[in-house]
Amino acid sequence: MTALEVRDLTKTFHRHRAVDGVSFTLTAGRTVALVGASGSGKSTVARMIARLVRPTSGTISLTSDGAPVPQRAYRDHVQMIFQDPFASLNPFHTVEHHLARPLQLHGRSRDEVPHLLERVSLTPDLARRRPHELSGGQRQRVAIARALAPGAKVIVADEPVSMLDVSIRLGVLKLLDRLQREEDLAVLYITHDLATARHFSDEVLVMHQGRIVERGPSDDVLLRPEDPYTRRLAAAAPNPDTRFRLGGSS
Amino acid sequence: MTKKLTAGLALAGLIVLFGLIGPLLTGDPATIRDIGLTSPGGDHLLGTTITGQDVLAQLTHATRGSLWIGLLVGVMATVLSGVFGIVGAYAGGVVDEVFSLFSNVMLVIPGLPLVIVVAGFVPADQRGTWTISLVLAITGWAAAARVLRAQTLSLRNRDYVAAARVSGEKTWRVICVEILPNLLPILASQFVFAVVLAILSEAGLSFLGLGAADSSTLGTMLYYAQNGFALQREAWWWFVPPGLIIAVFGGALSLINFSIDEIINPELRNKVKRRRDVVATTPVVAPADDAVLTVSDLNVVYRSATPVHAVKDVSLTLRRGEILGLAGESGCGKTTLAYAINRLHRPPAEVTSGSVVFDGADVLALSPEELREFRWVKLSMVFQGAMNSLNPVTPIRAQLQDVLRTHRPSMSSSDREDRCAEVLRLVGVDPARLGSFPHELSGGMRQRVMIAMALLLEPQVMIMDEPTTALDVLVQREILNEIKRLRDELRFAVVFITHDLPLLLELSDSIAVMRDGEVVEYASAEEIYLRPQHPYTRQLLASFPSLTGERGALIR
Repeated sequence: MTALEVRDLTKTFHRHRAVDGVSFTLTAGRTVALVGASGSGKSTVARMIARLVRPTSGTISLTSDGAPVPQRAYRDHVQMIFQDPFASLNPFHTVEHHLARPLQLHGRSRDEVPHLLERVSLTPDLARRRPHELSGGQRQRVAIARALAPGAKVIVADEPVSMLDVSIRLGVLKLLDRLQREEDLAVLYITHDLATARHFSDEVLVMHQGRIVERGPSDDVLLRPEDPYTRRLAAAAPNPDTRFRLGGSS
Repeated sequence: MTKKLTAGLALAGLIVLFGLIGPLLTGDPATIRDIGLTSPGGDHLLGTTITGQDVLAQLTHATRGSLWIGLLVGVMATVLSGVFGIVGAYAGGVVDEVFSLFSNVMLVIPGLPLVIVVAGFVPADQRGTWTISLVLAITGWAAAARVLRAQTLSLRNRDYVAAARVSGEKTWRVICVEILPNLLPILASQFVFAVVLAILSEAGLSFLGLGAADSSTLGTMLYYAQNGFALQREAWWWFVPPGLIIAVFGGALSLINFSIDEIINPELRNKVKRRRDVVATTPVVAPADDAVLTVSDLNVVYRSATPVHAVKDVSLTLRRGEILGLAGESGCGKTTLAYAINRLHRPPAEVTSGSVVFDGADVLALSPEELREFRWVKLSMVFQGAMNSLNPVTPIRAQLQDVLRTHRPSMSSSDREDRCAEVLRLVGVDPARLGSFPHELSGGMRQRVMIAMALLLEPQVMIMDEPTTALDVLVQREILNEIKRLRDELRFAVVFITHDLPLLLELSDSIAVMRDGEVVEYASAEEIYLRPQHPYTRQLLASFPSLTGERGALIR
């Protein structure tokens, strides 16, 4: 079932085409990874889908017919997880505020806050704390809960773990993966990390200079890349396997 | 609560109480008696004026008048600066341009002369407290608006503001609930400043006879004292008390403002005295044959309110041509260790024991002159954000040549030029870029220029702290290849610090894994990869999915 349809999306900043004719479909229960180097335009795609940046041309709609969607319905349906959990939570407000507001805005009761926290494996007593009292991983879980609060069906996760310590990254990614399956979410996972893209997505889109240069099932794209850019990208990632397993020397 | 804040609040509170309650306890300040200029004592605690009015009674009423004007102006100026600063900056575009232009115009109009002109223009009988307050507020808000605008511009791009928009918050709510609370400390300090300025300006105006006609303030008191020749008649009790109240109240509010500044910027609080390191130098251990850098039992402690033992008994040996990887997560002490090796650590960080031996010399015992010779010449450093530390207004050439001019003063200018071109070639940057300014180069190129700068003096050791973390994989790969090649060609040793364990496993000869200030495991890269001993090392290895292995497999 189509959850989000992106067609010919283009964004021009001062005559520079940051995003150039990008099209893809997000489907319920599937994760699509959008990979690329910094400056490839992947974050701009995320911000356009979150309706934080207005596209120069192209459409983003919730059905395959491309019909326009009113703001409130769109916000109910599409939510975003930001890269830096130290910046995406307001230092002035409690965890409860961060979750209660989106619940209320979308016609739900703030009594659901403890339940939301449990869904992201946090204890409900965290609700009274402020962001600075939480660890990076806890903050990002709160940010995930906030995205779930309106009952969204599409989640855009823009580099959700790149600012976290390495030892807790997998935990957060596994949580996202579990929620995706439990709630039948459509997830767009934006990252520069090919290894996690391969393990946590069904389909991979490789973006370079605003265009999608290669797409397909994640193992096909990352293990047997065809596009020259994707090949360079895959070869550049640090990979100790080659040094020790395959008898390569340093 | 700091002493400053306590003192400020106590003084200001006393004066406010004096202004609030005083008038209820003293008599009518206007009553004229035939005991002009009585000195303090008896019925009149602060004496009388030339017409026999009680100075204390006048003082209480004048204090109340001044405070009232201060409050009015403070509120009005803060509201004006908030509207023009915050709303403009949040709205952006044309609104911001217009609001900002208006604030700038108001800012360059000289305040007090304008106040004098305006106050003088309004007929004396219409010059009430409100008129004066309005004039003072209009001339006094612009500077605060500039500050609020700058801060709002930074806040509106924060992710939490974007997150509030994505969750569907209305604009006014985003401003009032998400942005405004974070501006409160600044608003408070601007308010306090506006109050002080208003009371002082009003006193000045009234003293010139341009004040409000319907009120008595500390300024009008001074005006009458001046007209009554209080100074010439040595009636100090008439003019000293109002002057003193103005000074003390201004001082008290300034103290409060300092404290607010300290709350906004905690750095101002920690005035730790710079202290020369007192190092209990342990006997220098004879280094291994080809060791170039030996760190033995090094301890670094941050001497803050709750001391933090950031580096605990760390021992490392770096051999010639070796790449030593230092792996660890944020807060594990890896950067503190790098700083301490270079003696770049600043108070409150302090080396409490241990030694750093470089080529047989004890680094921790070097004199400042020897230290200058040691840093960069023998050991250079590349930081994570190094590419942003190039001077934006001078070309690359000048910045590279500066290093040579400082450390190799005898070098001829053509030799300098050659050397600069040579190091750029080493890191894979076209020497034609010597004339470029930093902004004309990409992030990866700037980082390479920094590495070139670190290579200029052919150091024996280079410490690189997350040198590629801010760069993308393709650029990272090129720089890693460059480091390996340079190591092979120049035989220098590298300490490579990063959280990216797969990268270290591929690049380094040996790896030290750090956690909570301790090296929990220290072995060759192969050992760490094939036979990790410490549970934390295994946990780190299990944090990275394998790019090429089975689906779901980790690098270990």
